[in-house]
Amino acid sequence: MQAPRSAAVAETGQLGGRGNAAAVGDSSNDTKTHFRVCRFIIETGVKLGMRSVPVATACALYHKFFQTASLEVYEPYLVAMSCIYLAGKVEEQHLRTRDIINVCHRYFHPGRDPLQLDSKFWELRDSVVQCELLILRQLNFQVSFEHPHKYLLHYLLSVRCLLNRHAWSRTPIAETAWALLKDSYHGPVCVQHRPQHLALTALYLALHTYGVQVPRGEREWWQVLCEDVTRTQIEDIMTELLQLYDMEAKCT
Amino acid sequence: MDRDLLRQSVSYHGPSLFSLLKCEQSENPDFKQVVADLSKSVNQSDKDDDSPVVEQFIARKADLLFAPSWKSTTLVEEEWQEDLREPYAIMPPLEQFMEVSYEERRELFYRDVERGDLVIGRITSIRDFGFFVNLLCTAGDFERDIEDLEITGLCPVRDVPSTGNHDDPLSYYQIGDLIRAGVKDIDRYHEKLTISLYSSSLAPNLDRIKLGVISKEDLPLHYIRGEKVGSGNSDAYERLLDSSPGFSNPANVDVLLRKLGINDTRSPSLMRGLQSKHFIEDDFATAIRKKQSASWALKCVKAGVDHFKSGRHVDAMNEYNKALEIDTNNVEALVARGALYATKGSLMKAIDDFELALESCPTHRNAKKYLCQTLVERGGQLEEEEKLVTAEGLYKRAIALDDTFQEADEALQKLQMRIQKTLKLKAEEASREKEKQQTAETSAEKLRKILKEEKRIKKKRRRSDSSSVTSSSSESSSESSSPSSSRKKSKKRKHKRRRSSHGSKKRKRRISSQDNRTPEEEEEYPLPANTSASFMDQKQALAKLLAEEAEAEDGGKSHGKSRGRCDDDPFGHSPQAQSSKPRGQHDGPGVNGHKHRHKSDDSRSSRKESSHDFSRSRKDSSSSAYSEHSRKSDRPPRDESTQARGQGSSEVSRYDRRVSRGSDGSERRLSSGDGSRASEGDHKKDLPASLQDIFNQIAEFEKERKKK
Repeated sequence: MQAPRSAAVAETGQLGGRGNAAAVGDSSNDTKTHFRVCRFIIETGVKLGMRSVPVATACALYHKFFQTASLEVYEPYLVAMSCIYLAGKVEEQHLRTRDIINVCHRYFHPGRDPLQLDSKFWELRDSVVQCELLILRQLNFQVSFEHPHKYLLHYLLSVRCLLNRHAWSRTPIAETAWALLKDSYHGPVCVQHRPQHLALTALYLALHTYGVQVPRGEREWWQVLCEDVTRTQIEDIMTELLQLYDMEAKCT
Repeated sequence: MDRDLLRQSVSYHGPSLFSLLKCEQSENPDFKQVVADLSKSVNQSDKDDDSPVVEQFIARKADLLFAPSWKSTTLVEEEWQEDLREPYAIMPPLEQFMEVSYEERRELFYRDVERGDLVIGRITSIRDFGFFVNLLCTAGDFERDIEDLEITGLCPVRDVPSTGNHDDPLSYYQIGDLIRAGVKDIDRYHEKLTISLYSSSLAPNLDRIKLGVISKEDLPLHYIRGEKVGSGNSDAYERLLDSSPGFSNPANVDVLLRKLGINDTRSPSLMRGLQSKHFIEDDFATAIRKKQSASWALKCVKAGVDHFKSGRHVDAMNEYNKALEIDTNNVEALVARGALYATKGSLMKAIDDFELALESCPTHRNAKKYLCQTLVERGGQLEEEEKLVTAEGLYKRAIALDDTFQEADEALQKLQMRIQKTLKLKAEEASREKEKQQTAETSAEKLRKILKEEKRIKKKRRRSDSSSVTSSSSESSSESSSPSSSRKKSKKRKHKRRRSSHGSKKRKRRISSQDNRTPEEEEEYPLPANTSASFMDQKQALAKLLAEEAEAEDGGKSHGKSRGRCDDDPFGHSPQAQSSKPRGQHDGPGVNGHKHRHKSDDSRSSRKESSHDFSRSRKDSSSSAYSEHSRKSDRPPRDESTQARGQGSSEVSRYDRRVSRGSDGSERRLSSGDGSRASEGDHKKDLPASLQDIFNQIAEFEKERKKK
């Protein structure tokens, strides 16, 4: 176990200096680091043309990994790259290591030419592949997640029927909810709650933002959609979500 | 910023949001525009509780949330159809789970139903003006729980399509039938609904759906599922969702994204750093990969070039192929490989590679240079293989690419000269063949003319009363073919003029006027019409006939050709034709046959005689303009006759020469004509004995006259 870890860290030390800030064991720093790395994952996902669900899987893998692992031992950016690679395999959107390495290299050295097919490239590739195995072992090979995305989409469909079609078409509820859900992956909130709750919160927040009036019955619409959630819970999750936006200002 | 949205949001949250907005969005110019409007609507808040965090969030992100570009969903107006395969979980209307009250549901239904929606109901009563339907559920995308709302719709008779039996269309329907119909009209105030069974009443994306009586199986899935759900179970929705097969479909996310119109790969984010404007195209994976492939391929190419220079062609080729595997259509690799092919001698492959390279990079200097050289070399190869046109094409391409390439120019010029030479040779061959063909043609034409002449002669026989009939018939029979129709026609017309009405004069004049136009007119010898002389002309004409026959067999080309053309053409321009016309004037009725037998020799030979005749018969000449003109033109042609004769002799066969010699002197001619006749044994066999008698008589007659 020791050898691959150190080798991985040593090789990816070349990637850039950002990860070295993780040497400080402050939790708030850790949070910031995680935020930055997740931002890195999401950005890379966009550049690689990944769909929302594989990106979510990559972030979830990352968060889960560092729930049990320490930032001092593992280079977070390498872990992130491997998470992306692994997520592509899990969610059936296969990515080439060459593309991942290219994009990441450019992320850290903007404007430079792409890597040549030299020893450096091969070392990086080897480290990504080895790290992938590492992550699998750390997570006990449990790498499939139930994501809130499909819940959210079904909820959106149901709620759409409740509303007047014109009100629906002029209010960007779907986009906002989707954006909120994707942004929630910057933090560990995605792995700390049930996917239904996350989806519900995103939808709730979207409707709330635009002041949309949903008809009321014996039960609230969100109660129907997810039985075991209370309004407080929703609000808590909402708060966590919104904190992420605040963190953006602090980190970047 | 979308004012309506903002207003809605602010009125929902109250003045606290408004103040926050003002605070956060103070620099936003879009916000400033709407702030005035908003201040009016801020009075109360519709919501129950305060949520400062949310309000803070809204205020901060207002520029994104309320921007018009934020609304990025694209609603796809596809054909709606019942998704029986269930790509996603189809759920009953939420109203049902929420247990929304009767009044509210009814109110909401009448608020939201629109023309063109699909509804399903059961027939409750049938009247003569239509039938009433109690609505069970809605179909299409508009899902509501209305079964117990007792909403009735009327379907009037005119909206019931006939079944084609000429019966009352309503008789097809019974109470209790399940009907699927489209909403045609809504009276929201009175809560009345009119439905129709015609597809035209439906919205465009629904109009494929069959309306009318349906069975239980056709009921929408969400309704069927809704029936199974018992009330009171709070987690019914969840359980139903999890158990639906569509929920386990791994692709349901994509299907639903498409249905809702959300774009997945570039979907918007509320994070500042993730806005699309921050992404540079060059940072994307595909762009980087391309650049990288190009540079990797270049390395291989360099290695390959080294191999090539050291003579290791196989290694070089391997390197080039490797480079092209890494980056197909890499310009440098293609050029290098092309050069290698050219060196090895596979010129076509080299050309292909260069062309491909130039497609991607038209300004590549080396590619152009090598391509020109290879094209010229290949052109040389093709030239040796006698594929001149292809070679020419290649040279032209080389020049088009690089017009300073001298070798290509030189090669092209050489080639073009060569092509011209071959073309010339071919042209000569072709013309020679044509001549041969012409004679064949003229034989056919002559035959045709013979036949025509026979017909004409038969007609004239009825009119005429002289022995010329026989002579003409003999002539016509003796003719092989004679192209000069003008001569024939002029003779015919002169004959007609003499014998028939005045109208023929006009024709002749017409012909003569046309003839006047021709430059060869001067060679004419217009002979005045004279019955006596016509017999002499007849003789001459006969001699000509003989000569012509001889010539025709020998295949006199151009003259024969021209004669052939003149067959039915009154505008015949041949000198022979024109010169023969004067003779035609002299001809009696019997010489119709002469008209088609004009050869240069004959005409020339007869010209001399005709000039004699002309001088003799000047007084007797007709008053036709043609003859007058021909008088004038007589002198110069005399001079030219010798020339013409000279020309003619070069083209003529020995038979002709004999004939022309024979016809030099009028008396001499007769005898020589006989002699020629004798010598031309074959040709003479067509002449009947009676004709010979006539000739003898003529000869005697002439002698007598001359003595006088």
